[in-house]
Amino acid sequence: MNAPLPEQRILRVQRVRKSFGGIRAVDDCSLSIAAQSITGLIGPNGAGKSTLFNLVAGLYRPDGGAIWLSNSRIDGLPPFEIVHLGLTKTWQIPHELRNMTVLENLMLGAKNNPGEHLLNILVRPRVVRREERAWRTRAREILRLTQLGGLADEYAKSLSGGQKKLLELARALMTEPAVVLLDEPVAGVNPTLAASLMDLIEGLRQAGRTFFLIEHDMNVVMNRCDRVIVMHQGRTIADGTPASVKANPAVIDSYLGG
Amino acid sequence: MAFDPLFLINVGFYISFAIVFALLAIGFNLQWGYTGLFNAGIAGFFLIGAYTAAIAITAPSPPATGYPGHLGGYQLPVAVGAVLAMVVAGSAAALIALPTLRLRADYLAIATLAFAEVVRTIAINLEPITAGTIGIVGIPRLLEFSGPNKPYLTTATIVGVGAAIVLALLVALHFIVESPWGRVLRGVRDDEEATMAVGKNAFRYKLQVFAIGGALMGLAGWFSVMALPYLEPAGSFAPAVTFSIWVMVIVGGAGNLKGSIVGAFVVYGLEWGSVQLKDLAPPELKDSIPYIRLMLVGVLLIVLIIYRPDGILREKKRVLR
Repeated sequence: MNAPLPEQRILRVQRVRKSFGGIRAVDDCSLSIAAQSITGLIGPNGAGKSTLFNLVAGLYRPDGGAIWLSNSRIDGLPPFEIVHLGLTKTWQIPHELRNMTVLENLMLGAKNNPGEHLLNILVRPRVVRREERAWRTRAREILRLTQLGGLADEYAKSLSGGQKKLLELARALMTEPAVVLLDEPVAGVNPTLAASLMDLIEGLRQAGRTFFLIEHDMNVVMNRCDRVIVMHQGRTIADGTPASVKANPAVIDSYLGG
Repeated sequence: MAFDPLFLINVGFYISFAIVFALLAIGFNLQWGYTGLFNAGIAGFFLIGAYTAAIAITAPSPPATGYPGHLGGYQLPVAVGAVLAMVVAGSAAALIALPTLRLRADYLAIATLAFAEVVRTIAINLEPITAGTIGIVGIPRLLEFSGPNKPYLTTATIVGVGAAIVLALLVALHFIVESPWGRVLRGVRDDEEATMAVGKNAFRYKLQVFAIGGALMGLAGWFSVMALPYLEPAGSFAPAVTFSIWVMVIVGGAGNLKGSIVGAFVVYGLEWGSVQLKDLAPPELKDSIPYIRLMLVGVLLIVLIIYRPDGILREKKRVLR
């Protein structure tokens, strides 16, 4: 009998800590995410889920512990370097760039766009234009994929709440991420759109990307995630298949309720 | 009333100082209108540019009684003065930016306001370099003319060169800010965190645009001593100058380069126009003109914020094809 191959762990969080004043938001938290999985992160409000996401994405600096993205240690790196290593995040409350169009929001995510360097604009204007055209084609594909195609030239501020959620995901995809952290991707999105959003995420996973998402919608968590991690008071209290987590007494006690 | 030929020179003076303010406003617009960096020390970078230019291009100060003299006597060409003014003011902006751009916007405003006041106090007190409150005199003009038409030719040169500079800048800066680089600036303005989360080093962009804005304010300083070949630190670089530039950018339209030019001409036009109309005002109101002018600016601002909050020329939507 062959031993099962160990799954490849693309993201590892090891004993990470973060306090704000006297509050330990993330307290000795360890977890790991399999490559090409959709992993859910659940837990009561104030469990430290969003803080953990901010630590992983580099928006907060951990007080201690280590975070690994594949073979690179990323804790303490600035967010833009982490994006270049292949990890990005979206927000629970959309951070759309209000006074820019939907297409411009996406174009900002373009990775290694030479036109973003002053010198290239002056010295290599042709290369800048060519790359910009290529990225624009890519951006339009992603807009089609996320059902935002018709809104390309609208200001981001004029989108509905649900559309802004889609925009967050679309912009994140422009950075060509290996791992995407989604903070409540379907909150405030109508059920039909939520279902097609999750279908899209499933499709992207099959194409090789990894998703780690915070979600309170149990339908999404139980039916769409391969694995569920539960946080409570800054640390993980359960980790397993949706069914096993659902049956875990500690989880029922702290989060799901009897 | 007979036509006064001096009126033409007066109009030329208005245009040249409107250009000075337009350059300052464009610099501030890049920093705030495009990138969201609230610079409250515009006057400081303006001062640095003006003194750098004056010291670089002026002849040794004449040994007059009571005149303390100033650093200088380099007699460099006026164009070199312009470049030096931009380099020194731009570097000063980069230096002040390094520790302060990591701060929140309100702290940046406080730090830059303090910086400008420190610079002004130094200019007032550091007599061996700046000649103190007496100021620097005998600054050479762009071109020296002689003969009866000298004042007209001098004024025409200043206006012509100033207009050419503004037009050239408009074209060059449009090319730069409507590029992917400029898009990152607007991303930082709208949401710095989100811009970082899609892989942009926000600090680098803020530093670059702050230095470029500072350099343009330095250029304004150089042009101001071209327009008026005399330099004194106390009034010309007071915080009120900074506040006027804010008004010009808001009135003209933040995030629109042409708006800064329109804002400068309109707001400075109110000031200049009210001085011209002084003779028409009833005698009992004459002394109140400066205050009425301030009230007019205030009313303009209020009306505009109510009816056209994005300014006269609002920021354009970028439709990418």
